[in-house]
Parts: sequence; structure tokens; C-alpha cells
Amino acid sequence: MNPANPLVGAALVHLDPPLDLKLEQPQIKTVKPREFGVGERSTLTISLLTVLLLGLLWWTVTERQWVGRVFLPSPAEVLRLAIDIFSEGYANATLLEHLLASLSRILSGALIAVALGIPLGLLAGLSPWVKGVLDAPVEFYWPLPPLAYLPLMIIWLGIGEMSKITLLALAMFAPVFLSAQAGVRSLPVERVQAALSLGATRWQLLREVVFPSALPEILTGIRIAVGVGWSTLVAAELIASTKGIGYMIMSASHFLATDAVFVGIAWIAICAFGFSWGIRSLERLLVPWKGKS
Amino acid sequence: MLRVDQATVHFKARDGSTVHALDSVSLDIGDGELTVALGASGCGKSTLLSAMAGFLPLSSGAITLNGRPVTGPGRDRGVVFQKDSLLPWKSVEQNVALGLKLAGLGWREQKEKTSQLLGSVGLQDFAQSPPYELSGGMRQRVGLARALATDPEILLMDEPFGALDSLTREHMQLLLIDVWHKTGKKVFFITHSIDEALLLATRVIVMSPRPGRITHQFDLNFVRAVAHGANPRSVKTSSQYLHMRELLRDLIHSTEHPLERLA
Repeated sequence: MNPANPLVGAALVHLDPPLDLKLEQPQIKTVKPREFGVGERSTLTISLLTVLLLGLLWWTVTERQWVGRVFLPSPAEVLRLAIDIFSEGYANATLLEHLLASLSRILSGALIAVALGIPLGLLAGLSPWVKGVLDAPVEFYWPLPPLAYLPLMIIWLGIGEMSKITLLALAMFAPVFLSAQAGVRSLPVERVQAALSLGATRWQLLREVVFPSALPEILTGIRIAVGVGWSTLVAAELIASTKGIGYMIMSASHFLATDAVFVGIAWIAICAFGFSWGIRSLERLLVPWKGKS
Repeated sequence: MLRVDQATVHFKARDGSTVHALDSVSLDIGDGELTVALGASGCGKSTLLSAMAGFLPLSSGAITLNGRPVTGPGRDRGVVFQKDSLLPWKSVEQNVALGLKLAGLGWREQKEKTSQLLGSVGLQDFAQSPPYELSGGMRQRVGLARALATDPEILLMDEPFGALDSLTREHMQLLLIDVWHKTGKKVFFITHSIDEALLLATRVIVMSPRPGRITHQFDLNFVRAVAHGANPRSVKTSSQYLHMRELLRDLIHSTEHPLERLA
């Protein structure tokens, strides 16, 4: 044993059998690195609490009759009317007819916007001619609120489905077009060069590299477009409609049927949320690499 | 043979002045040669590689591969990039097979060739992984396998190991020597690491900036020794190696930092 440092020798001592020391494991708390901003923390509980609190506030306000029924119907009334509308319809059409009318308009508009927006956006990202031609008109009409050019649509295309779907398609085209163009612009030049030195033709380059590279941005564009579509829908359905959720809300407002307005708004929220969720699922399925390369 | 004949590249800078990125550079890369371009950033080595790959036209001069002039990118020149240029939506296997797919090869041939290539770079177990799940070194191996897939005449490698940590880098250098030795490909390799140049090159060309030109060339044999089984560590501690290393260091510092010589 080293007299200067007794611990040196102590490490060499072997016990046979080894000493079984049943020491109490001290409780050690786990730690996380400090985060800045929201980070990865879930805000679900807070959000649910907020919704609950707002619902409670709504209930209290109507229960205590702080405001008149015409301004704010009670949650119970709205729920009762929602069930009524579900079983008996509203404004000369069933709920399903209203929903289908709105959904088919949105989907037609989206289909046109996507079918034109993706190829034209990709081309605008590739060709200075296409970009030069399309930039000015798109930049001009894109910031306009669709309500502003709605009268033009009616004058040019009449009051039928045509003008509504055109309005929706126009409103939804710009986000898809701009995002496809941005997708091409953000394409790393090395990817293009790699494909070219592997012998890619122009068409192969477009199909194998450019389009898939732009897909994450395109999907984001479509999600924004659908959001824009829903906000344009009520405006589009102002035009002499006889069906549609937007029409339902407008006709309810004419009779100061605030509860029916609430029901209509709820349905739009449900549909919009469903679409947004669907596109997010599509993103997870189609572009799992998003943000990872 | 890849022949660069009096290649000159002038860029227009943003302020209107002309940048002489490459000034009358001539270079021959014969069969089985591993030519390494060494120099600081801005010396024109990447410009030279871009011109060889056909990404960049020359202001004057010519580049020919086996007598045929280089006019654009093509599958006779495989390029390995510094930043990984892999396609994230394709698996490792599909990335390596890209050139074969573009050439219109059948699925079975693609599969066969690809698995052989993945074996030669040691990635057979990662064929189905997406590239973003691989480490940097593995991604560069995929890039190398992809460039080899079309059986090019020459490999053009633009600082392919520059972003890797030093341990991975040494592994990759040995892997490249192995691939080069087995395939007998011509290679043009860019680096700013003197050690990398010494270990890999059968010929090292030293370049200097403004205007970008070749200032010195040396024929080396260290890579052949390693390819034939010499221990890379004893090669790197041999007196010839250390001598060359000092020589290259002096050359590079004299061209890059003229002020340092005054001190």
C-alpha cells in the first residue's frame, strides 16, 4: 500500500463474494436543456383550457342575460338549432345539400387552381419568358380582396356556378402559383448539376428533380390556397345562390337568426379544419423529408 | 485522356470589373491518374472542375475527353459534390440507380448494378434508408457510388470530404484509393488539405489565385504505395512525405499570403 496515498492501494482490493451493498438509490431528477420561445413544449392543455373558459364565458353571458338573444344566443339554443338543421335542413335545402354545394365549389376551384398553378408556377421558375409574362398580372390581382372583383365576375360570367368557381379558382391560383415558383427558386443547383451529369434530359430533370424538390413548398401553397378558398366562399355564395354554407349564413343574417349564423360558422370551421388536417397528412405521406435535407 | 488546353474563364463581377477566374490553364489527365488540385479558395480550382464537368463554358481554350470536345454535362464525367446533392425522396439505392434509370436501364439491371456498387462502398445494409438518416461520410459514399454507376471515363470530385470530421475523412480517403485502384478510373480531385493531396495524388497541381493558374506540378507515388498495401501511417511519416509536405506548405503560403513572408 502506498503510504503517501492510501486510496491508490484501495482500488486493488477484490472482495469475494463481492459486498452486496443495498444502498438507497437517491432520487435524481431528469433535466432538459433550456429552450427559447415555445420550442417543443406541447400547448394542448393550455389551448383546451382556453376553449373551456371561452365556452364558460359564453354560457355565463347568455345565462345572466347580459346581452340580448339577438346578439348572442345561448350555447344550448345553438346546439338545439344545429340538431334541427341537421335533421330538417335550413333555407329550403338540407344540410347535406348546403355542404355539398360549398364543398363542390371549393373543390372545383382548388382543382383548377392546382392544375394551372403548379405547371405555370414551375415554368415561371424555369423560364424568364413565362415569369415575365405572368408576374405582372398575378402580382396585380393577388393582393386584391376577391370581393372587389366579384362584380366583374358577375358581369362577365353571369350569376351561375361559373362566376363562383372562377372567383374561387382565381383566389386560390395565386398561392399555388407563387409557391411552385418559390419551390423552383430554392432548388439547390448541385441537384440539377448532379442529374445533368448523370445524363438527364430536360424533361427527366423536370420530373425527377425539379417537381419533387418543389413539392414541399407546393403543398404549403395548396394549404394556404384552401384557407383563402374558404374565406372567399361566403363572398362567392352571396351571388344569388340557393344552396351553400355561405348562402345559409347570409340568409340567416337577413332574418337576424344569429343562432343559425353560429351554426353556419361552425360548419365552415369544421370543414376548413378537416381540409387543413387532410393536407397535413398528405405532407407527412408525400414529403417526409421536409426540413431534413 | 482528359485534356485541358489553354482554358481561360473570365467572369463579370457585380461592380463591372472582370474576374480572371482561370487563366490559360493546361492539364492532361491520363488513364489511371489521380490528379489533385491544391490551392486556397479563389484559386480557380472549382472553376476548372465546373468547366471540365460542362457546367461552365470557357472564355477561350478547349477541354476534350478522348478527343471529343466537352460542350456540356454528360454521363462520361461523373461528379461528386461537396454538399450532398442526393435526392431526399429517394432511398440510398434509388439515388445510386438514378443515372441508370435516366439511361433507361431495366429494373433488374438497375438493382444488380446498384447492389454491387453499394457493396463496394460498404453501404449494402443501408440500401433502403433515406439519405437524411445517414451520416455525412455515408452520404458522400452514396454520392461516390452514384457517380460510378454510369461507368464514367473520369470522376470529378469537388472537395468531397471537406465537410467531414478528420477521422471519417481518413476512412473516405482510403475508400477512394481502393475504388480508384480497383476501377482504374481517371480522377480529378479538389482539396485545400495538403495531406489529402499528398496521400491521394499521382499528380498534384498547385494553383494560385488572381488570376487562377497552375503554378507547380509534382508527380507523386504515395497513393500507389498505399494502394499496394503500404500502411498509410508509415507513408505519412516517411521522410519523402514530410519533405514534400514542407515544400507544398511553403509554395502555398508564398502564393497566398505574401505578407506572411515579410514577417
